Amino acid sequence: MTTLIELTGISKTFLTEEIETRAIDSVNLVIKKGEYISLSGQSGCGKSTLLSLLGLLDSSTHGSYKLEGVDVSSLSRDQRAKIRSEQIGFVFQSFNLISDLTVFENVMLPLTYQSGLTKSVIETKVQQVLEKVEMSHRKDHFPSQLSGGQQQRVAVARALVNDPAIILADEPTGNLDSKNAETVLTLLDKLHQEGSTICMVTHDPASAKRAERCLEMFDGRLIADNINVKNNATAMPTPELAVG
Amino acid sequence: MSTFIDIKYALRLLFKAPKFTAMTLAVLIGGLSISLFTFSFLYSTMYKDIPLPNGDTMLSVNAEFNGAFQILNSYEFSVIKDQQTVLSEFGVYDKNDFRLSFDDSGKNVFGTYVDEGFFTFSSTKAIQGRTLQKADMAANAAPVAVISSQLWKNDYSSNKNIIGKTIIVNDIVTEIIGVMPQGYRFPGSSHLWLPIKSSMIKTSPKNANIVYLYGRIKPGISKAKAEQTLSQQLNALYQQSVTQYNLEKGTKSVQLLTFPFAQMGGQGTIIFTFLNVIAGMILLLACINVGNLLLARAIERQKETAIRAALGASSHRLVSQLMWEGIIITVLGGVLSVLLVGAALHYTNIILHSWNADALVFWWQWGMDKETLLMAIAFTLVTIFLSSFLPAWRSANQDINTTLRDGTRGAQGKKAGRLSRYLVTTQVFLVAILMLIGSMSAYVSHKFVNLEMGDDYSNVMTARMDLPSNKYPEAQQQIAFYQRLMADIKNHPKVVDVVTNNWLGSLSLTLDGVDYTDENSKPTVDTISVIGSTDTVGVDLVDGRFFDHQDKAGNRKVAIISQSMANRYWPGEAVVGKSFTLKVNDNNEKLFIVGVVTNRMNPATMLGKLNSADEIYISALQFMTSYQILYYRISGNLINSEEIFYQALYKTDRTIDLFYAVQPAEKNRGLMRDTMQLTSNLTFTTGFFALMLALVGIYGLTANSVAQRTHEIGIRRAVGATDKSIVQMFLKQGAKQLIIGLGLALIIFVLIAFGFNKMSEGIFPAYLYLVIGATVVIGLSVIVMLAIYAPTRRAVKMEPSSALRYE
Ligand SMILES: Nc1ncnc2c1ncn2[C@@H]1O[C@H](COP(=O)(O)OP(=O)(O)OP(=O)(O)O)[C@@H](O)[C@H]1O
Ligand SMILES: [Mg+2]
Repeated sequence: MTTLIELTGISKTFLTEEIETRAIDSVNLVIKKGEYISLSGQSGCGKSTLLSLLGLLDSSTHGSYKLEGVDVSSLSRDQRAKIRSEQIGFVFQSFNLISDLTVFENVMLPLTYQSGLTKSVIETKVQQVLEKVEMSHRKDHFPSQLSGGQQQRVAVARALVNDPAIILADEPTGNLDSKNAETVLTLLDKLHQEGSTICMVTHDPASAKRAERCLEMFDGRLIADNINVKNNATAMPTPELAVG
Repeated sequence: MSTFIDIKYALRLLFKAPKFTAMTLAVLIGGLSISLFTFSFLYSTMYKDIPLPNGDTMLSVNAEFNGAFQILNSYEFSVIKDQQTVLSEFGVYDKNDFRLSFDDSGKNVFGTYVDEGFFTFSSTKAIQGRTLQKADMAANAAPVAVISSQLWKNDYSSNKNIIGKTIIVNDIVTEIIGVMPQGYRFPGSSHLWLPIKSSMIKTSPKNANIVYLYGRIKPGISKAKAEQTLSQQLNALYQQSVTQYNLEKGTKSVQLLTFPFAQMGGQGTIIFTFLNVIAGMILLLACINVGNLLLARAIERQKETAIRAALGASSHRLVSQLMWEGIIITVLGGVLSVLLVGAALHYTNIILHSWNADALVFWWQWGMDKETLLMAIAFTLVTIFLSSFLPAWRSANQDINTTLRDGTRGAQGKKAGRLSRYLVTTQVFLVAILMLIGSMSAYVSHKFVNLEMGDDYSNVMTARMDLPSNKYPEAQQQIAFYQRLMADIKNHPKVVDVVTNNWLGSLSLTLDGVDYTDENSKPTVDTISVIGSTDTVGVDLVDGRFFDHQDKAGNRKVAIISQSMANRYWPGEAVVGKSFTLKVNDNNEKLFIVGVVTNRMNPATMLGKLNSADEIYISALQFMTSYQILYYRISGNLINSEEIFYQALYKTDRTIDLFYAVQPAEKNRGLMRDTMQLTSNLTFTTGFFALMLALVGIYGLTANSVAQRTHEIGIRRAVGATDKSIVQMFLKQGAKQLIIGLGLALIIFVLIAFGFNKMSEGIFPAYLYLVIGATVVIGLSVIVMLAIYAPTRRAVKMEPSSALRYE
């Protein structure tokens, strides 16, 4: 399998009112194409921050980040925005749909930031992903008219619409009841089976087990990296453990 | 108790954000002060009762002819006085300028010829001696005068034995019979009251003169009824004359106006409304901004409000809690504005009275008064309603559920966003209107202030007079009078030269060898009749000669033309000796050019270029008119130089009344310039303040809506939006509001410009309106876009991960 992401010595420090918080501390991590990774650890250990760094929502204080062999740690803001719109899909705990846009428009959003797509291409694509998450019958509704589970499915559709190289999900089931959570997790399983690379933050051990590789963080560091054998018969070579 | 807690809470919030409080207060005070000052100034100028006993029932009797304000004539007065049954008092007066002579010097004062009912009408008695009585009006009565307190103080040192002393009024020795109380200047700015003689009220329709009329309606009769009755009588009278004397057709009606209103030529309502609407717009702008600032605060506390509502607070309670902050700040702003406006009115009063104390009508006193205070309260209440109640009410009536669920963040976003967009559009609209009107009026004023007149009035004195037709019926007699007067003036060693001018209007010109399809296709040229040389007033000879005493009736008729006219019709040619035909007094007169002079601004083209209109000068010895404006140039200083004229006039004919006192020719112009300068400055300041308000407002609104959408920006950035696309999104939004606001303003501007252009008879070229329109559109667009760009730019700089955390 080819390497998708390679983090080397990544650190992130926040400076607020002269208090320095080291949210990520020298993390090394390699993610291969098609992997389904879960990331867990106690609250405040830096999971969301790491995901932000992976998704280029923020830049690291130290270290290098290679995406498909390209060093992206020193790209300009616009270049990073381009990568986000073309290669990364986000699913948030709090859904983060835009309330003034319809379901259809929300899902369409990443494509509107890509250049050179015709209207019909966009429409088919959106229709396609909405069908995949079984939300196409609600495409003209506004987010506030949907249940939490439905909103999250729309958010997943939005993450898929640009055929991203990796889907980053930050506690996607955190705001959902068990039934809705199951729907979303099944959806992610399905996507993984279809070949998507997924990195999901979760508190729930059961959810974590669905991933083929489980990372664990503590105080800004990666402390465990386990292959979930039960889930993946064709075991991979032991991944490099990344405890800096 | 709960109110007390709310007030305490509001005060704490205001103290916690001193910058916000100061900014809100500044905007409020600015808006309130401007509208309050405008209201108070205009109200005092036009609507207050005259400060005399029974001042509320004193009316000025005027006419309206085909919609235009008019003054009645002595014939109409004398007939209606006998017919009318609706007025308990009805009398006549005539305003004039009088020359008082003291030894070898003198001074001019405003005075009034009044009838015997005048002082009863104004309910005022003399403080010394008596007022005028019926016997004083008799043709052979000894000349008597009543003087003002001020005159008595300044020129007679408040002499206790003033009664019976004499004063020389227009060269007539007159006995002082009374002194009026301090402050009495009725009917306007009078210092002297003389009996009106029956010879001054000509009762034949043919030679009737204009007179001023006062009246008081009988108790129990309404003003409308009185006007209607009088109008019927006046119109019937006019219709008789129309056929008999071939007058202009139309309806005449009577208008009963208050004296302040008549003073404004009956035009008060339009000016009052127009200026108050403008001031109201500024107040509205201020309200929008204050409302927006408070709304931003309310939105910040939206969640808090929702929690309170969930805990059981009634919406009434929520509204009042949110409102207190606005109420406190608005009331504070209102009180400070009243103090500020009070001071401003006080100083305006001092300045205006120091400018021209003698010409100001006595009821013009500006200052803080009951009406202004009431208006301040009204404005404050309106402001509270617009900028505190509405936002609070809106915020309190939000959907608690959606706010608390928070699933999609800022569920109120859509409504708030729409409101904020409306407000931006309204602001753009109001400012655009203010700027358009402001630049137009600033341009007009500027044009007046910097007008190049083409003449030189420095060291020139001027007087206007009309020779009575019964005493000087023939042109020859008139010419003789003016020639004697001018020779006498010129004899004085200080006088350089004398000239008379009379503008005859635009006369129809026929050039030799040109075919005109009809009368209307002929050009018209401004024509001035002259005795003497125009270089007296700086209109200098370029070619040929000035008129001399040989250019009289019987000799070849001559003309002098302006350079612009020579260039227009005979470019490159020598014009002296050429001829043309001019329609003077309905006769086509062939005129030979004897000279060319420099260009001059004539009254008809006041705002054009110096050479855009032409002048023809004709010899008054050949075309005499009884009315003349006389100019004489003095060498050295002007001190006492008006006496030169009066000495000469009294030697020639002491019975001639002047239209204005003799005065430096610059004086009127200077006054006009000062007024225009003031208007221009005021307009500019007001416009600038409005622009600042809008700038602050639009910046605030955008910053506010950007802040509300920070989270959305984060989401958009997370899914790949670039900085540019986010900024563009806001600019596009802003552009839409800008276009709507500007578009509406331009439509109104086109209407105003159209009306103004018609009213001003096209003195401004059409491109001027285009230039003003384009400048405002471009200027405002840039400013609005900057006001939108700045906060957007700032929000975009945030990392998307922090934007997503933003609540
Ligand atoms: N923008 C920021 N400014 C300052 N400190 C931050 C910022 N973002 C995160 N942190 C800090 O970095 C640390 C890691 O935060 P992060 O959100 O990554 O934790 P997390 O593992 O996702 O926790 P949770 O499971 O509760 O979501 C925390 O201590 C947090 O306070
Ligand atoms: Mg987290």
